[in-house]
Amino acid sequence: MSGAAWPPGAAPCGDDQLRVPVADAAQAQALASTLRTSGGWLDVVPGLECVVVRYDTAVIDPPVALARLQSLLEDLSLPAVPDAGRVEIPVRYGGDAGPDLAILCRRLGIPKSELIRRHTGATFRVAMHGFTPGFAYLEGLPDTLQVPRLAAPRQTVAAGSVAIAGQWCGLYALNGPGGWPLIGHTPFELFARGQPDPFPLKPGTMVVFRDIDGVVPS
Amino acid sequence: MTASVLRGGTQTTVQAVPRTGLRHLGIPASGPADGLSMALANRLVGNAAVAPALEITLYGPRLRVDADVCIAVTGAPAAVRLNGEPVPMHASLGLRPGDVLDIGAMATGARCYLAVEGGVSGASEFGSTSTYLPASFGGLEGRALREGDRIDFTAPGTATSGARTPPDRRPAIPAKPALRCCDGPDAGLLDGTERDRLYGGRWRVSQRADRMGLELAGERLAVGSTGRMSSAPVFPGSLQCPESGSPYLLCVDAQTTGGYPQLLQVARCDRHLIGQLRPGGALRFLSRTAEQAALELREKLDFFRDWVPDIDDAL
Repeated sequence: MSGAAWPPGAAPCGDDQLRVPVADAAQAQALASTLRTSGGWLDVVPGLECVVVRYDTAVIDPPVALARLQSLLEDLSLPAVPDAGRVEIPVRYGGDAGPDLAILCRRLGIPKSELIRRHTGATFRVAMHGFTPGFAYLEGLPDTLQVPRLAAPRQTVAAGSVAIAGQWCGLYALNGPGGWPLIGHTPFELFARGQPDPFPLKPGTMVVFRDIDGVVPS
Repeated sequence: MTASVLRGGTQTTVQAVPRTGLRHLGIPASGPADGLSMALANRLVGNAAVAPALEITLYGPRLRVDADVCIAVTGAPAAVRLNGEPVPMHASLGLRPGDVLDIGAMATGARCYLAVEGGVSGASEFGSTSTYLPASFGGLEGRALREGDRIDFTAPGTATSGARTPPDRRPAIPAKPALRCCDGPDAGLLDGTERDRLYGGRWRVSQRADRMGLELAGERLAVGSTGRMSSAPVFPGSLQCPESGSPYLLCVDAQTTGGYPQLLQVARCDRHLIGQLRPGGALRFLSRTAEQAALELREKLDFFRDWVPDIDDAL
């Protein structure tokens, strides 16, 4: 969608949702915050390359909702995404902590140390929250670490699992199902349940990873 | 006013109004998997359609109450007993201190609902007392009921026993539902043959079935996808299909984003029926346009509104 003309064309998606394609995650965040303030939508949810709004089909006809969204898109200007700090996240790579790491290394033709070097050497940025409370999608994964999702999702992924898929790194905040290959595990608390601000990572937070088992450079 | 839990059942949780407007934080809707059945239970005891009630899964709880209280059970047909004697569903019942209510196995469907006059108490998080099991919040400590728990009732209401759901307002709980659906955003990945398989196929729910989603078996879809799609918002009612070809139909605790192709969305009018699908159960999908599905939603809401005035909050 990169370079597509503004406004983008919204399309129906089911009988109570509309989807707007955008260039990237930052634009999705900006568009979603703007649409949220426009009112009238039950949910405004950014994806990595789209925004979906949900409306009340009981009172708004689908074509009316589409027309309303399209006219909003024509008028709006997107705010800049605010800077949201920098966080270092410790990771234990491989073994039980990252059960897919060995397979990924074989697939990529690199040793474990090289995969860790590439992952800890990159600077990531939180692109969005999603999936389940606290799950963070991070952009900035080196091209040389890009692998597909699992063909069939796991039924159980441990909370704290660090995963990669496509051009993304994902941090699982809860125990539950998941379809991304797992490379490691972090003790970092991604969902602080019951706290006034339960999400330590925000869209825009810069993230670097540190190998818990690695030798600290002197 | 409390009830002592003598048996928790397979999975009994407090459910109430779904969480709205928080999916961008990764916080799912939750709420009743079958909102229509829960609304009908609440109606019988004089509560709002989405007042906190107990959602009961496959095999129910055994409860002893310590006060005079009016209750009602609706949803999947279950063996309901009061002090050992069979009692009807879709009827408000006056319970006396010491009475024991036992909800056994369900003949068809997957969930029934126990409403209590005034509503069931629970911890409110992110604006609702609905239990969300994966993150352990809402309801009773964010978990399902178990033996030894005590459930508090909010306040005595003014309900009386003897109310009955009108016979024609008792929804059938079909063993093999046909769910009305609209194309999902990635429906274009299916060729004609695969599309016929999706809409013409006889699907079956696998053993992987919970409030997040249900894995479907019986057919395998060839989806032209690379496994590298970028994650996009998903909702209760979305059907996602990984490369394995076995799709997942998402339910009320659905994750908020997903990266597998989204082939269809169960229309809002029939989304509550997903909550009545049980492992091993059969289902079919029917294709609708958004406009058709919107009309069918309004027909269903109009049909129930004369009995449940606030049905729009529950469907």
